[in-house]
Amino acid sequence: MDAPLLAIENLRTYFYSRAKRAFIRSVDGVSLDVARGETLGIVGESGSGKSVTALSAAGLVTAGPGVISGRIHLHSNGAQRDLLDGLEKYARVTEQDGRVMAVEKDERGWRKHSEALMAGVRGKEIAMIFQNPRSALNPYSTIGKQLVETIRLHTSLKGEGEARERAVHWLERVRIDSPRLRFDNFPYGMSGGMCQRAMIAMALSAEPSLLIADEPTTGLDATIQSRIVDLLAQLKTETGITTLLISHDISVIQRLSDRIAVMYGGTVVETGRAAEVLAPQAQARHPYTAALLASIPSAETIRRKSYLQAIEGEVLDTIEVPRGCRFYGRCNRVTEAIRESCAGLEPPLEEVAPGHKVRCWLYPAAGKA
Amino acid sequence: MSQTILEVTDLRKDYSQRRGLFSMLTGQGRVIPAVDGVSFYIRENETVGLVGESGCGKTTIGRTVLRLTDASSGRIVFDGRDITTLSRAELRPLRREMQMIFQDLDAGLNPGMRVRDILREALTVHERPSDAEIAGRIRELLEQVSLKDSKLANFPSELSGGEKRRVGIARVLAVRPRLIVADEPTSALDISIQAQVVNLLRDLQKNLGLTYLFISHDLPVVELVSQKVAVMYLGRIVEMGLAENIAHQPRHPYTGILWSSFADKETTEVSRRVRDVTVERERRAWGVFDFEQPASGCRFAPRCPLYQEKGHPAVCTDPASEPQLRDVGHGHVVACHFA
Repeated sequence: MDAPLLAIENLRTYFYSRAKRAFIRSVDGVSLDVARGETLGIVGESGSGKSVTALSAAGLVTAGPGVISGRIHLHSNGAQRDLLDGLEKYARVTEQDGRVMAVEKDERGWRKHSEALMAGVRGKEIAMIFQNPRSALNPYSTIGKQLVETIRLHTSLKGEGEARERAVHWLERVRIDSPRLRFDNFPYGMSGGMCQRAMIAMALSAEPSLLIADEPTTGLDATIQSRIVDLLAQLKTETGITTLLISHDISVIQRLSDRIAVMYGGTVVETGRAAEVLAPQAQARHPYTAALLASIPSAETIRRKSYLQAIEGEVLDTIEVPRGCRFYGRCNRVTEAIRESCAGLEPPLEEVAPGHKVRCWLYPAAGKA
Repeated sequence: MSQTILEVTDLRKDYSQRRGLFSMLTGQGRVIPAVDGVSFYIRENETVGLVGESGCGKTTIGRTVLRLTDASSGRIVFDGRDITTLSRAELRPLRREMQMIFQDLDAGLNPGMRVRDILREALTVHERPSDAEIAGRIRELLEQVSLKDSKLANFPSELSGGEKRRVGIARVLAVRPRLIVADEPTSALDISIQAQVVNLLRDLQKNLGLTYLFISHDLPVVELVSQKVAVMYLGRIVEMGLAENIAHQPRHPYTGILWSSFADKETTEVSRRVRDVTVERERRAWGVFDFEQPASGCRFAPRCPLYQEKGHPAVCTDPASEPQLRDVGHGHVVACHFA
């Protein structure tokens, strides 16, 4: 089998809360693979670490201490590189009982090294689209100019004229009406949906190997959201681009992803093929995934006007991470047989079916470990 | 049948926008009709859902019916009393009967006050209860919104999103309101917390006999909590009826599009039709937000799949025949020539 295009191994990205004098364990040991041509959807609530995972992969985490350990392998265009290669020498992590007690990091050295590693990767190999397209576009420059700049910088088309033609071509591909007219528009004259289309055009025009889409539809109007999802689905079929999609919206994830990773409290709690993870009656499923799906009003719930099955409790704050399972405090499927494990020991992410992994003591495969 | 608690007739709210030195000097500006002739009523202990895209005037309606902002014209009758032109002093005793839950979780939560003081303040705005009564009411409020005692000593910044929302609701309940305008009460919350709050709001309605005007863009939730739903487009109600009819047998093409953008894409006839038409066009050109040059005739025509399908019938763009709401049975009203 082909090596995955992107392989994240045991990534940890922490931040420091001065007020609480403690580490915020935003991403706490995440391993993920994105195979060539597939879309991996990361779904989770705010604070689950989904966006920070993506930002870490793009080398865009700026607050300290930031990425403290892990490997991010990118296999593209015949080259293999580790985007965190050699960075460990800038950070010294002191651990006790598997908990990080202190991080000494040479931030300047780290950043300089990271920028060197990311040169020619970010924007070119890894392109990103963000939640708020308007703020990601340069307000002082026309859409066309920004596109031409991207194309000349990242592709073999260096001439003004040919880059311009390519830019118009991309505006067409993201279904912007009268692309030649739009070419000279400034972002402020365009709607949110249009700006997001322009962003997508810009990201894809560099012909990247990996597209990171971080909440691409959040903040747009309902009808516009579904058009953007349609567009992403069409582009996926047309270009076959490998995508890391991040969203809190399960319906968006469901429509666009081949595989899904569910994140909770800085860890991946379930991963597998989209159809299996979100199947209406999945046999083996993490209680959190099940509860998330149940808390969305179903046709049945609405018809009978019954109560929503809410998940009790609050979203985990990743400062005081419990010793055992991170979902233990809110879980409604703890049985007496496993209670002790749940409370005291973090379950491993174990395969329950081919390609389907769950981090829960409920499933026998996990018990073997 | 329970009685009508709020009746709104031909409500209009114009905002004027002044641009440039000339209009500033002459005092002439553009007028933007954020709400353009809206009529509806709510019965006691009922929930009416108000849906539509951002900028369609939902929130303005909510604010206007509570007289948080003044209507440009029209009539607002609360509990049999015309409140459209009441003075501030006359309104004051009515304020406690009509409250609003804001989208912003921090709205109304003074960051410098502890939860206990926030609730105490709300309890003493309209009355002068004794300390013992206040303590009793605070306990009751905490119980109603399922909040732990220990949170009373916290500042808002120490609360999670869900807890802030509960305190906000408790604060509103402190004055024992009858009508609550809930403006996107769940949209700032995480999915797992949204369900808790929706359940809480429904419980409160049952136990306290509250009436809600529920403003949201989360259509499944609106369908779940509301008896009636009004769909707004560009300042007007384009369709209104029983929640299940609006959701499952929409008559206005816009309602169909709105619902299909959430529901399972493949299911409805309308959504299939819609997908073949590129609906999203530049808003300026298409008038989604352009109040300056509203489309003549039906304001939805430029985005309407039916209009395209029927080969651009002249009646849709005839300035003299903007479609009016008409009854299509069972109190279901639609503003479309072809409904």
